[in-house]
Amino acid sequence: MAFLNNNKSKANIVMLKKSVFVLNSLVSKNIRAQYRNSTLGVVWTVLNPLLNMLVMALVFGQFFGRTMPNVDYPVYVLAGNTVFGLLRMTTTSGLTCMVENYDMLTKTRIPYYVFPVSHLLSAVVNFGFSFIALLIVMLIRIPNGVKFYWTMLMTIVPFLPALMLFSLGIALILATMYVRFRDIKHFYGVILTLWTYLTPLFYNDAILSPKVRYLMNFNPMYHFVKYFRDIVQSGIVPSLESHLIIYGCGIAALTIGLLAFGSQKKKFIMYI
Amino acid sequence: MEDIITEIQYDDLIESTGNTPILSDSYSEVEREILIDVKDVSMLFRLPAEKIDNLKEYFIKFLKRKIKYKDFWVLKNINLQVRRGESLALIGRNGAGKSTLLRLIAGIMEPAKGEITTKGVMAPLLKLGAGFDSNATGKENIFLNGAILGFSKKEMAKKYNSIVEFSELGDFMNVPIKNYSSGMMARLGFSIAVDVKPDILIVDEILAVGDAPFQKKCRTRIKQLQDSGTTFIVVSHSMETLKSLCQKAIWLKDGKIELSGSVAEVSSSYLKYCNEVSLDK
Repeated sequence: MAFLNNNKSKANIVMLKKSVFVLNSLVSKNIRAQYRNSTLGVVWTVLNPLLNMLVMALVFGQFFGRTMPNVDYPVYVLAGNTVFGLLRMTTTSGLTCMVENYDMLTKTRIPYYVFPVSHLLSAVVNFGFSFIALLIVMLIRIPNGVKFYWTMLMTIVPFLPALMLFSLGIALILATMYVRFRDIKHFYGVILTLWTYLTPLFYNDAILSPKVRYLMNFNPMYHFVKYFRDIVQSGIVPSLESHLIIYGCGIAALTIGLLAFGSQKKKFIMYI
Repeated sequence: MEDIITEIQYDDLIESTGNTPILSDSYSEVEREILIDVKDVSMLFRLPAEKIDNLKEYFIKFLKRKIKYKDFWVLKNINLQVRRGESLALIGRNGAGKSTLLRLIAGIMEPAKGEITTKGVMAPLLKLGAGFDSNATGKENIFLNGAILGFSKKEMAKKYNSIVEFSELGDFMNVPIKNYSSGMMARLGFSIAVDVKPDILIVDEILAVGDAPFQKKCRTRIKQLQDSGTTFIVVSHSMETLKSLCQKAIWLKDGKIELSGSVAEVSSSYLKYCNEVSLDK
């Protein structure tokens, strides 16, 4: 019996080693695939958020910029989008990952978790590039009163792991549902647009009515975005409550995601 | 009990082929390590009678309790053991359960009943383009496929040149796989699988798409691997290929083992059966 267990744990280690290799390969492929055949290549990963920010700052700066005299609007917009971008990228590509990798699922032997996790890690790499863009903008905006705070370091820990848990959880739930119901893709597209507008990415939540602001508390992304802006833009160490909220959301989403994915994964092969 | 079974199978083999090159030398061959052990395996496909893939239909059908399932036993009580260095051919008509058995052995699906244990590095070539990403280039896919087989980037970098050389696809390494022909895809898959020197090599039909010179090259390489102790399982409808590559054969019919023994014996019974079937119609 002991021998059997030993054999099993050995097999698990081999599987884990394999998963790491596959993840490595998938992530670097995902990143390169995004900007394949473009002249500037990887430069786009930084340029893209920069240009997007520029457009938003130009368009919305006139409308919403005036409602927040104390913060620098371009940095405000870019910070919000950097956070939301990780969720958007992980969930939209995670949604279809099981169906798209049909060939790999039915003809090779790799743990299914590799696919959603690879999309999460690609999104984290992208987050890194967006963060570089954010730093560039902050440098440029120093004359306008932007300051750098040490609290920015809290992005890596504890902020990023919580956001990763949350995004992966949502991606797992969506991937599981998409295998059974192909409507989810279109449905989620609409939900995501709604979610983007219901999160104060380019407007200040101070302009909302008290009632809506209360409801805003039930939007997990509101707390993530607020936390990130606190540490990057305002130099505030968030309260214990903020930490509990973001980790609570992260762990809850991941638990539901793992339960859903785990209970259905053996059936994936039948439905795809 | 197991020993008796294997002995009988070996005796059959030696008797029927006369001079089996690998198996005849001594009884120590019987002691060879069992790499694949399939114990009383059955596989069930539970398919919905009609395909429901959107929410609306699902809820309507669910409320009306109208989701019907059709149970379909693809494999029934299969027992087999394959030892190190042995080569086994699976023969049978379409839908007999050959590919399902291979997938179960490869660990892609889990059996509904029974147990399968395997040892060592396994390289399954189950279909064209398996383990490939069609949007990635040939080069990227070599590393991806290697990772799936359990090899790191570093290890694959060492193998890269010999893989490209064997596949003869040097000019196409930076082209996305989706632009490859089926022959090219098979070449790449096979080249990777044989280069990692697996303990178990599983091949489902795909050799048929290669051209004659490449097929010949593949056969030579498979023979080399067999000599160095690779266990080989193949599904094919070409009896000539099977006879040249395998010693043992199993004929699957309606999910059951109809006959097992030497490849010559099993293939001739199978061909006889095929002739009868076509005469009936």
